[in-house]
Amino acid sequence: MRYVAIELVASFGSLMLIFVGVVVLPLLVLTGGWLFVPLVVRPLRWWANKAREREAARSGRLVDSAYSEIPEHLSLEQSMRITFSRTTGRDLLWLLGHGLLVSLVSGLALALPLSAVNSLLVPAYWYLAPANDPVTSPFPVTSWALAAWMPLVAVGYALVSWWIIPSVAFMLRAAQMKLLAHGPKAKLVERVTALTASRAAALDAHGAELRRIERDLHDGAQNRLVSVVMMLGIAERSLETNPSEALPHLRRAQAAATDALSGLRTMVHDIYPPILDELGLEGALSALAGRSAVPCLLSAEALRRVPTAVESATYFVVAEALTNVNKYSAASQVTVSVEYDKSSPVERLMVSVEDDGRGGATERAGGGIAGIRRRVEAFEGKLLLTSPVGGPTTLRVELPCGW
Amino acid sequence: MRVVIAEDDALLREGLALLLRSEGFDVIAAVDNGDDFLALLDDADAAVLDVRMPPTFTNEGLKAAEVARQRRPGFPILVLSAYVEDRYAGQLLAEGVGGLGYLLKERVGKVAEFTDALRRVAAGGTVMDPEVISQLLSRRRADDPIQSLTPREREVLGLMAEGMDNMLIAGKLFVTETAVSKHIGNIFAKLGLSTSDSGHRRVLAVLAYLRT
Repeated sequence: MRYVAIELVASFGSLMLIFVGVVVLPLLVLTGGWLFVPLVVRPLRWWANKAREREAARSGRLVDSAYSEIPEHLSLEQSMRITFSRTTGRDLLWLLGHGLLVSLVSGLALALPLSAVNSLLVPAYWYLAPANDPVTSPFPVTSWALAAWMPLVAVGYALVSWWIIPSVAFMLRAAQMKLLAHGPKAKLVERVTALTASRAAALDAHGAELRRIERDLHDGAQNRLVSVVMMLGIAERSLETNPSEALPHLRRAQAAATDALSGLRTMVHDIYPPILDELGLEGALSALAGRSAVPCLLSAEALRRVPTAVESATYFVVAEALTNVNKYSAASQVTVSVEYDKSSPVERLMVSVEDDGRGGATERAGGGIAGIRRRVEAFEGKLLLTSPVGGPTTLRVELPCGW
Repeated sequence: MRVVIAEDDALLREGLALLLRSEGFDVIAAVDNGDDFLALLDDADAAVLDVRMPPTFTNEGLKAAEVARQRRPGFPILVLSAYVEDRYAGQLLAEGVGGLGYLLKERVGKVAEFTDALRRVAAGGTVMDPEVISQLLSRRRADDPIQSLTPREREVLGLMAEGMDNMLIAGKLFVTETAVSKHIGNIFAKLGLSTSDSGHRRVLAVLAYLRT
């Protein structure tokens, strides 16, 4: 019932979008519409994704979408491809169905329980209606005798709605899922596009990472070591001319060498946490769980060896998520679960971090969640954050690992 | 000799100033970027520049050197770099005037050699890091005439490219100066270069040839 009610409200949104689209589209096409493709496609995707989120929240399963990125600056060819892509087509189909059919069906379905209530009330007000236009529900009520039947009619309505609303909800949901979840073909097509983009992004990320490491090495450890060599050189000269002055130079050389070492240590840790190598993913995760100030329950057993990069990413995701929990959630308990899912064609690592804190976590640019998303998307993974104000907060991540 | 140091790493900057002062140089300023160095250009006799400095940490030092030498042709500059890039050497030497040096940063550890290099640069000589030379020499080309040099001649060419004169090379290789002259004559002949007495012009010739 709640489902039907929510979808009824949402379908009015769709209806409005359709109206707006019908009014605005011809204008856009006439005025060099391809420039406005993102303007049209983005709200469509956003609205369809809202519906996906509703479905996902209800069923607990992620509803796959297979969108390709809309680039910042579109060429005509790109915008044509987006406009006539399968995903856009399906979204439009869904929008029409949602706006026109769902509103009708769910409206009718919801009229039933209202009619039941109405029938119960008819005995109380039928005589107020003018004689030439009597209350009709479902037969004209013109006498007390007929009004006396009304409770029975109400029971009838209630029975029908009790029977029909769940099946209507079921049908609506099945139909919506079918249209919203992009089919295998659309998914394949979009996946190739997405894969190309994510590969480029991964290479970019890799390149950026290499540049960062190179610069850190040059400006950090290498400069420190040059200082060491230089201080030793000065000390050497002092020993030849004025031995008593050599000691401070030696001390400075030592300090610079210590600096270089600690710089190197931090850097190496950032590249690939050595603990992963030492303890494997399970061990490294349980070390993370042990360090968490909020009591952490870890379920990560019998994990198969996954690619090193995925291990590294998983460790990163859990570490970042736990940092967030400890910093902001005020939770009393956090549950981390990592499991291997081979039911889908692409084997995945499913990571979930759930706390009973105050919720309200959002994704900000440059924030922890955004960092997790970047790392996850480089692997073509998915991230779902649910964090209503008042909690609980759940972060779910899927990392494909069967390339 | 009045020297300006431009190096963005604070510890290194202070260390360099300390080192040069203790070796009798007059360090008039130690700054952390190219612009500050250029502002002091007229007060200095020579400069020691780091290649990578703010804001972009790529080749600010080289750019500053270029500007400085446009304003004061022949102004002696010793460039320090964390790594060897023979392109940088080529860029520095493009004008073909002496008073230039290009050394790896870690050479500052050998204080005597480092200060000697700075003095040679200040006197109008050219100093190239041995790493640059070996990088240039090891570069392979299909029709590489370097291949036609004997190992001894290659050795001499390397030392020559570092800016050493015949006497120094003779001392380094424990041979007579006459022998060195003969090697150099052979090298120039094989590479198709004309001889010249001046140290840095020999380097320029060698580098110019190797770069093409």
